[in-house]
Amino acid sequence: MAARRTRGMTGPDVSRSTVARAASIAEQLRYECSILLELYREKESFTADVLVDGRLVSVTPPSSQLDTRDKLWRLHSALMQCRSLLERAITREEEELGGGKKGDYETQRKMVKDRLSYLLICTGELLKTAGGAALLTPSLEGLESDGPTALFELKLWVYRIFKEVDYWTKTAITTLEALPSVIAKERVRTSRVRTTRSTRR
Amino acid sequence: MPHLSVNPSSKPNCSTVWLISVLLGLLAVHTNANDVLTVPQQVSLSTNMDSQQLSISWLAGAATTFDLMILRTELNESVFYETVSVMVSQLSGRHEWNWTSVEPLQCTSLSIKVRSREGQSTSEWSNTEILQGSDLPSEEEWQMFPLDRVVPVGANTTFCCIVKEGEQFGTINYGNTVMNTTRLSRRSYATTVVNQGLSGPSGTNVICYNSFKELKIGAVVFVGYPPLLSDFVCETHDLTSAVCLWNERNTNLYKKTRGTRYTLNNRTFTLSWSLNPKKECRVDHWEGNWTLVAVNPLGQYSLTDSAELSHRVTPVAPENLTSVAHATNATVLWQWKYDGYSSLALVCQVELTSQGYKTNHTFSGVDLRAVVLPDLYPYEDYSVQVRCGAQQNFWKWGSWSETMSFKSSSIVPEAPDMWVWMNKDYTGQVIWKPLTRRQSRGLMTGYEVTLWSPGESLQHTDILPPDTFAVPVNLTQMATASSDNMVMATVTAKNTEGVSLPASVLIPLRLTDADPRAVSQAVYTDSGFSLFWQSDVNTTCAYVVEWHNASCKWNCPVDWIKVAPGNTNVSIESANFQPGVRYNFSLYSSSSEAPELLQRWQGYMQELVPSSPVLSLLTTQEDSDILLTWGHIPLVSRRGFLLGYNIYISSGSQLTLLANLSDPGSRSYTVKGLSEGSYKFTVKAYTSAGEDTGATASIMLEPFTDWLILEILASLGVTALFLVIVTFLCYKKRKWVKKAFYPDIPEPKLPGDWSRSQAPLDVKPPHHSLVHMVERPEWDSSKEALVVIPEEDEDEDGQGIGDELVDTDEPTSLRYYNQVVDERPIRPRYPDSSDSSASSLDSARTDVTYTGIQTSGSSFVFQLDPQGSSEGHQPQADPSFCAGGGGGYRPQMQSRVPSDDTGPASPNPFPESQAASGYKPQSSWQMDSPVDDGEGRSRASSLGSPTSIASTQFLLPDGEDHTEDKRQPSSSAATTWLTNLLSSTKP
Repeated sequence: MAARRTRGMTGPDVSRSTVARAASIAEQLRYECSILLELYREKESFTADVLVDGRLVSVTPPSSQLDTRDKLWRLHSALMQCRSLLERAITREEEELGGGKKGDYETQRKMVKDRLSYLLICTGELLKTAGGAALLTPSLEGLESDGPTALFELKLWVYRIFKEVDYWTKTAITTLEALPSVIAKERVRTSRVRTTRSTRR
Repeated sequence: MPHLSVNPSSKPNCSTVWLISVLLGLLAVHTNANDVLTVPQQVSLSTNMDSQQLSISWLAGAATTFDLMILRTELNESVFYETVSVMVSQLSGRHEWNWTSVEPLQCTSLSIKVRSREGQSTSEWSNTEILQGSDLPSEEEWQMFPLDRVVPVGANTTFCCIVKEGEQFGTINYGNTVMNTTRLSRRSYATTVVNQGLSGPSGTNVICYNSFKELKIGAVVFVGYPPLLSDFVCETHDLTSAVCLWNERNTNLYKKTRGTRYTLNNRTFTLSWSLNPKKECRVDHWEGNWTLVAVNPLGQYSLTDSAELSHRVTPVAPENLTSVAHATNATVLWQWKYDGYSSLALVCQVELTSQGYKTNHTFSGVDLRAVVLPDLYPYEDYSVQVRCGAQQNFWKWGSWSETMSFKSSSIVPEAPDMWVWMNKDYTGQVIWKPLTRRQSRGLMTGYEVTLWSPGESLQHTDILPPDTFAVPVNLTQMATASSDNMVMATVTAKNTEGVSLPASVLIPLRLTDADPRAVSQAVYTDSGFSLFWQSDVNTTCAYVVEWHNASCKWNCPVDWIKVAPGNTNVSIESANFQPGVRYNFSLYSSSSEAPELLQRWQGYMQELVPSSPVLSLLTTQEDSDILLTWGHIPLVSRRGFLLGYNIYISSGSQLTLLANLSDPGSRSYTVKGLSEGSYKFTVKAYTSAGEDTGATASIMLEPFTDWLILEILASLGVTALFLVIVTFLCYKKRKWVKKAFYPDIPEPKLPGDWSRSQAPLDVKPPHHSLVHMVERPEWDSSKEALVVIPEEDEDEDGQGIGDELVDTDEPTSLRYYNQVVDERPIRPRYPDSSDSSASSLDSARTDVTYTGIQTSGSSFVFQLDPQGSSEGHQPQADPSFCAGGGGGYRPQMQSRVPSDDTGPASPNPFPESQAASGYKPQSSWQMDSPVDDGEGRSRASSLGSPTSIASTQFLLPDGEDHTEDKRQPSSSAATTWLTNLLSSTKP
């Protein structure tokens, strides 16, 4: 039974379970992000219609031409930028706006950060499975260095980062949900190629 | 430009000349001033945006008074216009004046101009200097001021929002509050927040929204307090450096830009933020004087302290505690972190904790590193911690050391506390209290119980496990085998270290059932059962107070306590005491001899109402009273000392108290004065806690028949007595009576040879009927009586003429009325006195009536003889009644119903000797008589006997009384006389 399980966890099945796990983490992250945004709006007296212009994360634009590996790479890259931004936001917030007792907001913020890191591990595994792209290091260029200096601008910047994490979490869910069918098609395609080669032999 | 103002509302009636003169004068003065005052030149502006301060300087010679005017440039609104006195600055040689704006200086452009004033004279205005605001068209984005401001609690702050070119202003929110705004310029809007409260750690946001309620720009304001310090002291731990301590209130301002910065003796240091208000700073050398200054954006605060090092020694906590433990003491050792302590005189506190209890021991000395803790319990777990202070110039205790634990050594256990419970025979149990952990002094291995007779060297030993605390004993064998009167019971405890000293009790072998001691009541108080006894001067030994559940009689789980000699009271408290349970307490002397019972008590921890009612409640009717009896309540159910009983009678659901019996020994109660009916009684025993639920019994109270019988007998007796008296009187006056009512009647002339031995009666019968005289042999002839007078026309048959004497002298005065005039059957009636008289009154009719007169049977002279009647109605001679053998008078035979009907009806026919005499026509009545036979029959037959209306003669004689009649002729004569009397009265 153990052998069967070991055999079952190899190849495309690994990808499938990893995708499912990553999707589940992304779902959890999305929920936690929504709570974090709600806590932040409540803390800073922001109304829900705070407009956030533009994106902080820069990746290649989405395209139907992208294969699975590229899609995963794009997602992984965006999430990595999100984590980098989130870490900076947390640092700046602690430096400039922190103090007092830690409350629900701080707890939720750390939870989102940790969950995002966990999701990144999963997408990294998927990316590696999809074509050894783990060697590719997503670029963090284009990100603002430390954010604005004015405290209100800093608060808006933090909020934008949270919104960015929320956006890319939703994107991750969409991308990951679409992956199994893609993997299945590719596995079929790979099988056909192997069958053809065997036949030729 | 000079200003001349004329108040148009002033009175115009003044003299025109005077007015013109004043105006001309003023004009002249003004003109002169203009000539002197210097117009300010080179007006320059400098700003401090954070403090919103505008510094204005100008050159104006020696002038010292100036008019300053500040306008918002765009709207030309005056912000400030005042006359101020400004001296020339010695440094710059210019006039300088500072103005603090309510709004941030960036909000909008300001125009400033100055003129000199001398009294009412002013110079021309200087050139207008403009302070450019941020609302210039060149800065077209959204802006807000001030940014990141820190203000104290309660301050008022004005914020302005500069709208982006081409967009419309909406609102300014302070936190969640929409503020009122003022327009400062075309694009600038301001709002003022007054009396600001504490902000959050990340400040309060002031947000500017556009007309579409979109967040466009904002600022953050932090509201907090300036620093406030207290309790600043410096002390030393290592006898070299200083540690300065103080408290600071929470300023609500955090992080490096807003948090408090400190300097100690001008050395700046920062502290990590902490919720703890206690702050601490370490200085390498003891300086003796310290100044602490705390600064934040809202202000600063400073404190000083000075002291010698030796006065501020706070030792560090001892380190590396170790112990050397023995059974009853232990040595605790520790080390000091600093070598300097070797010459320091210290006072140390050792806190010893055992089983949750803490004790402190204090020790002192130079270079104190070890102490001995005495009075420890063997085999006990202890934990200890130490802290010290300087013995000289004590400043404060140092910190407690880490806790160190140790265990004292074990030794042999204490002797157990034992006692003996003996039953009424030679059985019992030796019991002892479990040794506590401290009494065990080690790991218990068991107990040893020995019974031995000192004089006979009889011994019996039991080895028992450590969880056994009682062993049953049977001294029967020892009692028979030993000549001693005592048996010694000894208990020893054993642990891993050895055997304890023995505990022993002498058990007497002479058992007595008698309990010589009276039992007192023990009262329970908050401290338990308080027992007192008389001091026995001869008793120098201790006492033992034993107690147990009073309802237990055999091998009871007894508890006891030992009381030191000389004590005469003790309070017994136990967690096992329960409410409603009676406990027996016994006081014994505890000496070298067997324990002697000195006193006994009984008591309840808390009295309750009895749990069950009295047993066997019975109700019994005694005469017209009701006797209630009941049994006792079992001791277990009493649950208190019975104080008595309450007797209730229940009517419906309501109980009415009949009686309160305060004697708890009462077992009965008689309820009197009740009428007939059904009753329900409830008996409730009560204690000091109240009544029980009660036992109930019912009874139906019957009428008291004995009284009725007595009443009847009494009335009968009175009636009989009355008749006796009347009879007696009549007897005594018989001559008079006879003379008055019954004069002598000439003897009848008898048709035959009738003779009597004493006085033959000559009867002259009438031509239609005969009068028969009845005579008894023993009867006095002088008392003869005329019995009946037959009706002439009814005596048709003329039968019945026998031996009877017939009086025929007065045929018209003595007549007999045949009772059977009416053909209706005769029915007997039972005697009734009233009926008797009534029937007598109604006797005018020819009815057969029954007399109710109770008379002696001797008055009846006729005997019923149905048998004789059935045999042809021949009179039979009755030797006991008529010695002459003459038959009775039998006229009624003619009208009687056939004798065949009556013969078998008589259940007990009379003997022929009786039946042969007397009158027998009422045999049919006798048939219905309820009286069977015997004496009752004879009497009853007389009662209700039918009588003739004319004669009232009893027509049914009493057979047995006939014999009686012989013995009482006088009574019979009286009756005869009375009969005759009544007959003679009939018409």
